[in-house]
Amino acid sequence: MTDNNDHHYNMAPRRKADFHIPPNHLKMKVGYGGLTDNILDKAQALLENNTADFRPLGEMYLDAMMRGVAAVKALPNSTTDDESMISAILFPAMQLKANGGMFHYYLVTQISDRLIQFLEVIDEIDPDAIEIMQAFHTTIRAILLGQIKGDGGQRGSELMKALVDACYRYFEKHPEKKTS
Amino acid sequence: MEKIYYNNISNFSNFLWGGFLGPRRFVVMSYKFDKVRILVVEDNAPMLDICKSLLLTFGVGEVLSARNGEEGFQIFRKENPDMILADWMMHPTDGISLTRRARNDPASPNPYVPVILMTGFSEKKRVVQARDAGVTEFLVKPFTARDLYKRIAQIIERPRQFVRSEDFFGPDRRRKAVNEYNGPLKRESDGALAIKQKQRMKSASMHLDEIRDKAGLNKGDKFDITDIDFS
Repeated sequence: MTDNNDHHYNMAPRRKADFHIPPNHLKMKVGYGGLTDNILDKAQALLENNTADFRPLGEMYLDAMMRGVAAVKALPNSTTDDESMISAILFPAMQLKANGGMFHYYLVTQISDRLIQFLEVIDEIDPDAIEIMQAFHTTIRAILLGQIKGDGGQRGSELMKALVDACYRYFEKHPEKKTS
Repeated sequence: MEKIYYNNISNFSNFLWGGFLGPRRFVVMSYKFDKVRILVVEDNAPMLDICKSLLLTFGVGEVLSARNGEEGFQIFRKENPDMILADWMMHPTDGISLTRRARNDPASPNPYVPVILMTGFSEKKRVVQARDAGVTEFLVKPFTARDLYKRIAQIIERPRQFVRSEDFFGPDRRRKAVNEYNGPLKRESDGALAIKQKQRMKSASMHLDEIRDKAGLNKGDKFDITDIDFS
């Protein structure tokens, strides 16, 4: 067996790589052991008891998302750069997902996560996709205005289910849009 | 007694030896973060405050902060912290660009600096994008205090070797032990490894053939291993 046999015809040529093991200065500074449960519980309590108001930030991300949606709607189909348009909506959605849960709005995180999954799958924007994005936007805004913290209980599950069903209906109508 | 999160065997053996020496000489060691300096780069002010508070609760001696990647790089140059905790999405310079500069800019005071990238993205393609920029650890938001601690402990206890190739400089992207790695073998030094990998594949294929023979199946027939009677 030769080296060439292991090489796929389509593979980039093997590259030279140098390896370095940098000194572990951090280990030298911190020593051995770990952190106690007590410290980690204190840190977690700090996260859970933080009183920062997420709504102004959330509104800012929602506005950015809406600007993205508006930009998509304003452009004729032939000139729409779908990837950059999806990004204009995807990035604020990602910020909502990331930060909602850090400030007690877990339902915002869950719903935004669904929106991200939807945006990561579609590679073209059409009027039906815009309608779905608007539905997500309206729902998240309602959660922020209603200050629905945590998972939103039964109402939260219902909202989530309605949005997930809308995504399923979209892919049933447009099976060609499902890229993965 | 309080539970300690041990990060490797040697720490655990220290704990046991402490026990053998008798209860009065029982020694439990814990990390001393007081000499550690960490730079947090985050454009969201409440989130920046949370990160700083978490690190200070862990006992970190000094937490530096910056509001975007550009400012972060200037502070990194000036202060040379022990670690960077950066958000991905920031304007004008994001966490990925900051990582690339920390690794490759001639003005970087420490190209080996550990970088933890915080982001809401968890899709594989995003993780790969961050890894290819030279990020050391990936922390998905929202996270818990333990999630952050685990990433820091990983950097301390399992530091990765650095790789320099024509188009990459950063922590070794093959995180798993070599004999578990199943990805493409692109390095010149991979010849022997490729042979081993091929042998494993061949052995697995022979094993599958054996199972099919015993079950009376033809090559290409799909089967559920739980349905096959091996008696």
